[in-house]
Amino acid sequence: MKYRISGGLAALALSGGLALADSPTSEWAPETFTLGNGMDVVVLPDHRAPVVTHMVWYKVGAADEAAGKSGIAHLFEHVMFKETDDIADGEFTSTVQQLGGQLNAFTSWDYTAYYERVAKQHLGKMMELEAERMTDLIIDEDPEGSFITERDVVKEERRQRLDNNPGAILREQVLSRFWKGHPYEITVIGSMDEVEALTPQDGIDFYERFYSPENAILIVAGDVTSDEVRALAEQHYGVIEPSGLVDGTRKWTDVQPLTETQEITHSDPKVRQPVWYRYYNGTSVKRDRDFALALDVGLDVLGGGNTSSLYVALVEEQKIAVGAGTFALSSLHDQGPAAVYAMPSPGVSMEDLEAAVMAELEKQLAEGFSEEDVVRVRNSKAAGSIYARDSQTGMANQFGRWLAIGGEVEDLLTYPDDIRAVTAEEALAAVRQVFAEDNHFIEAQLLPADGAL
Amino acid sequence: MRMTTLLSGAAIAYSLAACSPSSPSQPTDEPSAGLEVTIHDGEFATIQQFTTPGGVSVWLVEEPSIPILSLRMAWQAGSTNDPEGLEGLTNAMVYHMNEGAGELDAQAFFKGMEELNMSFSCGSSNESTFCNASMLTDNVDPSFEMIATAFAEPRFDDGPFERFKREQTVSLQTRETNAGFLAGRAVRNALYPDHSYATETTAESIAAITQDDMSAQKDLLMVREGMLVTAVGAISPDELAPLIDQAVAGLPESSAAIEADAVVLAEAAADPIVIDLPQPQSLVSFTGPAMTREDPDFYTAVVLNYTFGGGGFESRLMKDLRVERGLTYGVGTSVRAGDKIQTWAGSGQTKNESAGEFIDGVKENMVAMVEQGMTEDELAAAKSYLTGSYPLGFDSNAKIAANMMGVRLDGLPVDFFDKRNAMVEAVTLEDVNRVAATYLNPESFTFVVVGQPEGLDG
Repeated sequence: MKYRISGGLAALALSGGLALADSPTSEWAPETFTLGNGMDVVVLPDHRAPVVTHMVWYKVGAADEAAGKSGIAHLFEHVMFKETDDIADGEFTSTVQQLGGQLNAFTSWDYTAYYERVAKQHLGKMMELEAERMTDLIIDEDPEGSFITERDVVKEERRQRLDNNPGAILREQVLSRFWKGHPYEITVIGSMDEVEALTPQDGIDFYERFYSPENAILIVAGDVTSDEVRALAEQHYGVIEPSGLVDGTRKWTDVQPLTETQEITHSDPKVRQPVWYRYYNGTSVKRDRDFALALDVGLDVLGGGNTSSLYVALVEEQKIAVGAGTFALSSLHDQGPAAVYAMPSPGVSMEDLEAAVMAELEKQLAEGFSEEDVVRVRNSKAAGSIYARDSQTGMANQFGRWLAIGGEVEDLLTYPDDIRAVTAEEALAAVRQVFAEDNHFIEAQLLPADGAL
Repeated sequence: MRMTTLLSGAAIAYSLAACSPSSPSQPTDEPSAGLEVTIHDGEFATIQQFTTPGGVSVWLVEEPSIPILSLRMAWQAGSTNDPEGLEGLTNAMVYHMNEGAGELDAQAFFKGMEELNMSFSCGSSNESTFCNASMLTDNVDPSFEMIATAFAEPRFDDGPFERFKREQTVSLQTRETNAGFLAGRAVRNALYPDHSYATETTAESIAAITQDDMSAQKDLLMVREGMLVTAVGAISPDELAPLIDQAVAGLPESSAAIEADAVVLAEAAADPIVIDLPQPQSLVSFTGPAMTREDPDFYTAVVLNYTFGGGGFESRLMKDLRVERGLTYGVGTSVRAGDKIQTWAGSGQTKNESAGEFIDGVKENMVAMVEQGMTEDELAAAKSYLTGSYPLGFDSNAKIAANMMGVRLDGLPVDFFDKRNAMVEAVTLEDVNRVAATYLNPESFTFVVVGQPEGLDG
């Protein structure tokens, strides 16, 4: 509820890049190359500690699932930790951990990523393990076997992440409506019914179709050189034949703008603090980078933390809200929503809150931004690129996320300059376009069960 | 373009300096030729130890490769010092530490930090108070000016104070449907109901807090005597020492803060304590006694905990309850070896229908560990992970600064990082099995279930 540095979800979508001309580390640069089988490689040197982060990103996610098979991309990610020809069930994890390594994986609509963090001398072993499960995974077809048990684990994961959490339930409903008819319509973990029906054969089909070197990106961050990574990558990944099944096409498509204004309310006895949202048509950095950068700056001036104009007006001055701000989901390949939200102070009705937020938003869009606010926001974002370099995993994630949706390394390198080049006029124009009075939106409310505050 | 920003940030900060009280004893431009620096060239970090002319003890790791500084400051006294009836006072005080100081109200202070691209905020626990900052090394002078003003002249203005109280009103409501909070409360009420660690903030205690109370609490907890500093970044001891003296110049020399009595845990509850919360999945927690850090069995417990429930996918609880039975997305345990309170605790979530099976599974794994102990292979795997993964905690400025502060707050020596793995290696199977038999009996644990569980006998 208290934000220390301007940012928020919009910043997550865009935070990126490196310290450039104005820092003593301007010579820092990633190195990239491609193996003969089409696997892309990015090396992010960081020699502060004898540690590396090794990641393999597959250009497949929940957006690539067949109709009725929601959740297979994520369930399959779990299954990748099971058995292969050379690795017994459970051995993948035990091998990594016995070498002092940490490991995990994650799935989005756009990608699936696997990573290990280890002392640098074990990098080759990590590649050997990842290469093995890229080619020789065994999927347990026993109707009571490990695939089915893992399906139960995923159902528990869904209960823990979504079904136990009223705010997450509302968010799932809103995003599903926002992306109606688009491959992002069903949440990444899948609907409970469809997950329940997934079979080992679904896993086998998914693996054969999407898991191959030409559909993968290797990111190594840490205490290594490009030459070391190249030699190891050639040895472990370079020998894998491309499957020939990857043609580079995805199910990505332009998100159709909302054609009507809708309301979604979720009431739950666990809700003690109501929240009010309006989700509008937004954008994505991948599809319209200039507009996305301008929107990011504009959203932060409006609602990116406790110096933002909405926060100051609604929380500090009118005291009608205990929290207020803006955010956008702009880091996916296809367009995501941009939103404004507020949480009413005790005793304030949702109607009064909504009226106050919209009046303030309209007033600020009409009056425009101060140059001072815009400069402060865009410099904070540029400086974020310097702080980002403190985290080896953060850097690896940043490059992986962007490259997995088809972005160029260059975009991350020029980010600080590009964000500083956003003008107050561009930032204002972007938020005026998104929040224009006659635009359609989805209004969402999280409410206590009895509807009372 | 960047220079413009730096100048505007600097201008604000220097105007601050003009209105903050000048330091009584630490001129910032004093030549630091007299600074005595002890260098510990450790395996994971080269730590430079020194005491500033103003008397503050600092551990610094110089790291030139990124132009940032991670700074941690801490005091070994915390919310135990909240007077009866003013529960939440220390929390209120630390909330306000970046909410305006000197001539800057809260908005001006936040904007000043943003213009400098710095962060600064404070927090507290039962027995500590701390402030963390990060800054660009280009901006260290004005950034430390901000911290100095916050330490010397926090404003505790009406605006932030009223906002704090509104947020607390919300928080007192939302915690009542937060499964983790409800489980923690049930554990406290079952195991140490009369200790100050079991007291909670209430609407009345928040309403009773005044701005004068916060100011007095700051003077009680944040003093120069005993203050601990750790720093990692592109800065030398000679550069850092005067900045720290300047920052702390407005703090009192010393105070008479207190610490809590040690917690004595009650007997474990015989049956699971059920807290009703309408949700499809139950949170199951279990809490038993543990030992202090100084106890010779501490590292044995660390090794045992890895194999029992702390080792992620490699722990017995995960292998059994998740991988074999598909009962949960995650279950984990940890040893809390505090100075005043020691517990061995774990938790996991499972659908309401399987809560009973989950608890039975935890207990079966406890019994198996008590009766059969660990295997040599498990012991080797645990040590291998615990020692091999240790360097992963030293790959960023922020992590190193945090780790050094953890060591300092625990009163451990500067070579702790270098000796820690040997203490793990020294654990024997005999040790592990003896400690398992002592601590991991199911009867020692109080089980709490939050949700709408089924299949519980109790």
